[in-house]
Amino acid sequence: MSKKFSAISLMLAFMMIFSACSSSGGSTDGEASPDQSTDNKEKVTLKIGLPGSYEVTSKEIIDGFITSHPHIKVEIQEAPWGDFTSKIATQIAGNTMPDVWFQENATILSYGQRGVAEDLSSYIEADLKADEYIDGLFSAKAPDGKVWGVPHGINPIALAYNQDVFEKAGVAVPTDDWTYNDLIEASKALTVKEGDRTSQFGFIGSFSITNGWFPWIKQAGGSALDDTLTKSRFDDPKTATGLQQLYDGLDQGYFADIDFLKANGGELEVFASGKAAMYFLQYSLQVNMNESFADTNWDVVKIPKGVDGKRYVPMVANTWLVSSRAKQESKDAAWEFLKYYLSDEVQDMIVKTGSTLPVKKSALDQLKDSTTKPLNKAAFTDGIDEGGVTLDENATWSEWRILVQQVVNEIMVGNVSVEDGVKDIHTKVQEVLDSSK
Amino acid sequence: MQKQGYWGYIFTLPFVVNVVVFLLFPIVFSTYISFTEWDLFNAPRWIGLDNWVRVLNKHEFWVSIRNVFVFALIFVPIQTIMAFVIAFMLNQAIRAKGLFRLFYFLPVVTPWIAGGVVWVWMFNYQYGVINWALESMGLDPVKWIDSSNWLMVISSIAIVQVWKGVGQSMIMILAGMQNVPKEVLEASQIDGANGWKQLTKVVFPMVTPMVYLVMILSTISAFQAFDVFLGLFGSITTGIPERNMVPNLLVYRDAFLLFKMGPASATAWLLFVIILVFTLFQKYFEKKWVHYD
Repeated sequence: MSKKFSAISLMLAFMMIFSACSSSGGSTDGEASPDQSTDNKEKVTLKIGLPGSYEVTSKEIIDGFITSHPHIKVEIQEAPWGDFTSKIATQIAGNTMPDVWFQENATILSYGQRGVAEDLSSYIEADLKADEYIDGLFSAKAPDGKVWGVPHGINPIALAYNQDVFEKAGVAVPTDDWTYNDLIEASKALTVKEGDRTSQFGFIGSFSITNGWFPWIKQAGGSALDDTLTKSRFDDPKTATGLQQLYDGLDQGYFADIDFLKANGGELEVFASGKAAMYFLQYSLQVNMNESFADTNWDVVKIPKGVDGKRYVPMVANTWLVSSRAKQESKDAAWEFLKYYLSDEVQDMIVKTGSTLPVKKSALDQLKDSTTKPLNKAAFTDGIDEGGVTLDENATWSEWRILVQQVVNEIMVGNVSVEDGVKDIHTKVQEVLDSSK
Repeated sequence: MQKQGYWGYIFTLPFVVNVVVFLLFPIVFSTYISFTEWDLFNAPRWIGLDNWVRVLNKHEFWVSIRNVFVFALIFVPIQTIMAFVIAFMLNQAIRAKGLFRLFYFLPVVTPWIAGGVVWVWMFNYQYGVINWALESMGLDPVKWIDSSNWLMVISSIAIVQVWKGVGQSMIMILAGMQNVPKEVLEASQIDGANGWKQLTKVVFPMVTPMVYLVMILSTISAFQAFDVFLGLFGSITTGIPERNMVPNLLVYRDAFLLFKMGPASATAWLLFVIILVFTLFQKYFEKKWVHYD
């Protein structure tokens, strides 16, 4: 009998160990609700996923929500940004995902197509006044009118310039009227060669998508996809022209190349130290600039106009989505959270963090009074107002973007010609687009 | 007798559960989903051999197989030979032996993130220390990991993998060498064997089981290469060229970035078959040169 009891005890001990191991790993309850005495039975539990934790989403916002919504028990699931993608994939597979979380807008679009995300169009229609927000509010709107999420924030790019470098070289600083030709010519003038080596470049020739190849093809009149986002436009000669201009800058040595950037600490370091005079800077990076390079004398203007006189300002958005598999009460709680996130109070907090642009117009207006660098924040806000464009995001963006980047990298280091590269890209991208029909 | 059996089941239960949950189930389940279309969210849809056919028809799959074969063919012999030579040297009566052992083992405990950054800088075409050394000797710089020549890139990465793994292999072979009885070495010395003969005729035959083990483990780690590629190329989303891909990168990309579990599972199974064939090939030759007596 006692041996049986021992055996049962042992098994119970194992079960306790296993159950302890299987508790919600990585998740922590939010700050205790101010009203702990509230009957828990009436409380709705809301699981919020935070990639990048409180480094990306201000803790003040989450705490504010917990305080103002005592009937909602908040459970935070956090992970470093890089790990979140894998984590959420396995959580989705195991049906243990949070009720609301955010990721890249393009990923949210693919979630929408797969049924992971709840269509928020009816919620938005019922509770929000669309004219109080910039167009970016609908970054996650699919062609069929469904809205798969609302922005965590918008990150456009602007042309950052190092004033000291311009002054030293006696070159006029950029203006909002610049074209890409002005940028190229100024880059040539600002490039300083010392023997075989270049000590100072005119511009940082990044060839990632947001501040690299995408703005270059848009300004030349090209594009990645057509307006329906179902056809590749890499066969358009204008697209090739944009890539060629970027390649020429790198090849002829007036744009800082990847070797130089890696050897000198990266894009921000090179720009801040004056080793490159100009840079397509994403809004969020102003925080890093101010933290790490407070003494650098710099500002921004809108990115230059394209050949057609129009401006194309690439902007990336991270987007909140609500899980379609959450219970209705959790979906409602998630929408409460998103409404709170889009409220004046929180949008003002977002302005203060500087890590992303809010989508509410009233909050954006506050940036005009900002005294932190860059002073001309209107280059971002007016920029997206004038010509904000997404990165041709659709449900298959994650897939075709990798394929494009593979070949663009090859083009920019001189392993493949622009002509051959765009042919290759066009075939591959169209194949992906066709496979999703 | 019965009571003993009863307790046996109880004590092995955790391990049986572990094997069933974390080994057998994934094996069976991944086989199943390799025949389905599954995006991790919606229920798997049976599509027969479509994933297998699609993977086998993809150019990038065959490129990745070519790369991983070449990677293994470069990495395994170099790592094994270097590990053997270093172990032999560190088995001698030399000063600061412990310090040297630490020196060779250090890369094993260095995270790939840190190791990758250092190697990327060393491989930098214009500003890297390796090309600087070449240029100092009047030689042309080399595009180590940016070259359009895939063989150059794969070879460079294999060298980095050797840097990372040789310490571990060296420790295993060194353990084998330290088991070689002193009497045997002394007897061979009396019989007139010099250092080279001792190494090749006495020490090597006696540590062949360890050398064989190192070869098997190195081969498996070569075919499973993943970290070293990410460490040197950054990330898949930043665009690793197709000609430099290896199967595990494709598996990771398809499964966790594109949510295409079917093709990812099919690729993983194909990789398993290749590793199995390669290991059986090594096993076939085992008896010809490995001495267990």
